[in-house]
Amino acid sequence: MLGQALWGFASPTIAVYVLAATLIGIVVGALPGLTATMGVALMTTLTYTMEHNHAILVLICVYVGAIYGGSRSAILLNIPGTPASACSTLDGFPLARQGLAGRAMGISTSGSWLGTLFGTLCVAVLTPVLGDWALSFGSYEFFWIAVFGIVIAGTLSGGDPLKGYIAGFLGLFVATIGQETNHAYPRFAYGSVDLAGGIGLLPALVGAFGVAEVLLVMQGPAFRVVSAKVDSVIPRIGDVLRYWRTILRSGAIGTFIGVMPGLGEDIAAWTSYAAAKRGSKEKEKFGKGSVEGLMSAETGESACVPGAIIPVLSLAVPGSAPAAVLLAAMLIHGMQPGPMIMVNSPTFVYEVVAMLIIADMAKLFYGLTLVRPLLWILLVPRERLMPVVFVLCTVGAYAITSRVFDIYVMLGFGFLGYVLRQLKFPMAPLILGLVLGELLDKNLLRGLSLSGGDPTPFFTRPISAVLATLTIGSFLWSIPAFRNPIKAFVARTMRLPEISPSR
Amino acid sequence: MRKPFARADLVTAAALLAFAAAVLEEAWRMPRFTETGGDVFTAPGIVPGFYAVVIGLLALALAVRALGDGALRRGPAEPDPEATPQSLRRMFMAAGLGLVFIVGLVGAMPFWLAATLYIAAFIIVFEWRPGLSAAARARTLIAPVVIGLATGFAVTVVFEKIFLVQLP
Repeated sequence: MLGQALWGFASPTIAVYVLAATLIGIVVGALPGLTATMGVALMTTLTYTMEHNHAILVLICVYVGAIYGGSRSAILLNIPGTPASACSTLDGFPLARQGLAGRAMGISTSGSWLGTLFGTLCVAVLTPVLGDWALSFGSYEFFWIAVFGIVIAGTLSGGDPLKGYIAGFLGLFVATIGQETNHAYPRFAYGSVDLAGGIGLLPALVGAFGVAEVLLVMQGPAFRVVSAKVDSVIPRIGDVLRYWRTILRSGAIGTFIGVMPGLGEDIAAWTSYAAAKRGSKEKEKFGKGSVEGLMSAETGESACVPGAIIPVLSLAVPGSAPAAVLLAAMLIHGMQPGPMIMVNSPTFVYEVVAMLIIADMAKLFYGLTLVRPLLWILLVPRERLMPVVFVLCTVGAYAITSRVFDIYVMLGFGFLGYVLRQLKFPMAPLILGLVLGELLDKNLLRGLSLSGGDPTPFFTRPISAVLATLTIGSFLWSIPAFRNPIKAFVARTMRLPEISPSR
Repeated sequence: MRKPFARADLVTAAALLAFAAAVLEEAWRMPRFTETGGDVFTAPGIVPGFYAVVIGLLALALAVRALGDGALRRGPAEPDPEATPQSLRRMFMAAGLGLVFIVGLVGAMPFWLAATLYIAAFIIVFEWRPGLSAAARARTLIAPVVIGLATGFAVTVVFEKIFLVQLP
């Protein structure tokens, strides 16, 4: 089936789509302030009229390209192009300062290529298994999947878990605006036809990521390229062979983090980096230009991309913020990802695997060739780039449904996103809340209806019980008053040095 | 010294509590459809009410923590290095120009013209420096207009001619 899927994409038109989309992704990722989520959201509007599998291919190319592109500015500017590549600055920039920018980019290319390939293999193997398992899920389990996504994203998406939970529940609340499914009652519409139609996911995403980022980039300091001279970017086979264990470990970690709802590539990169440092024989080099450190971060973040697509396909739950947009795009194009996907359209899973392989190959091609033009793009001043991005955001928000209201939604979410970020609220749980809102809403009410208002099945059915335990456990673990005594007890029992209490 | 964000967190918590109370009240007032034979557990207010309760509880926790962090303590807080007066002025200028573009220009004229005006104004506002030579001044004015025109036309052609989206 994979061979058929790959053959199905063998046409000159698709080759042009792939090359153009991957290039757009790399440029979006490389430019500080523009993220993969924004790139995928904007391209969703551009691919609206395309055939569904061509559109999804373009979006996957943008996603894969953007996550990789972020490392370019991390290496050359010491500014991560996307949050995912923040970890790559630790060793990428020191390598560039040592005059090894080309080698650093080669390591980034090989690590990223292998990471995506590893994750893609996992998509092929795990999606059908997870899909089959999810067929036994009922309303109670899907309720917990949604809550688990919010809690885990709030806990681990960086910074303050309490603010993460608040952002997640704000996202869930926004998803309730508009007509609900049981009685078509327009909630929080106040007589407005536009509000009764609900808040569109894409305008909200374009606002929260695009407009907010324009404001943050204009507020931040200007960026400057460290060096216009670059040595050879051809990856060294010796680097790959020497660190094969690190590559496999980071690939597995990245994919696993990707599967967890709402975590995303930045957590994957940091976790892979930490694991590589722990297992390395050259710990002292980490942070000073370590090849192994850069390789682990790049492999982890790129393996996370396919990993984040696994729950999209099998559960209709996104593993990361860009994957949330991808899920929305699949729904816009009439696809129905979720537990029934292996029953209703089994070939689609293998088509997505083929798309990931194609995107990975296009990324490798640009990794080896696109060096100097990208340097020129990085030199475009933000004062000239940001108004163009803002215009694209405006058109992107409007294009899907041609409602001017959606432009105001974009603007509102842009300002909200800016304010929330200034107050150190993470954005990933907010977006996840928006995406998972309908799933939670429908399954909470259906579950209560089925049990006649009795909440016990939410806790007593076997899978529900496991999910409830994981969710409540993750929540409690984020509370210092609960976590610190347990850590202290474990440290005493294991005779380890006591870990100092932290928030 | 007061912890950074302690006071901002307290204000945010108060705003969130007020928001949660308003949502809860609105959810309570929503129809339940039981008089038309509907199941009470499909009432439209249940889910938003549930979210309002959770947001309210989380806001309370945020408020308690902010108080513990010295939100009401007098004296200076640790400064936020990201928000200097100059950087905030740049952000407000960008936000203001964006607002003018969407509220004042989009829909009031052809989209390509609105985009051209907005982009040109944005670049000129941020790149204009006093004391420029006549040639530099001309470059500072012409380049933004060219970038604006190119973007306005490209966006209009791509969306209206290729994707058949009638722009506002």
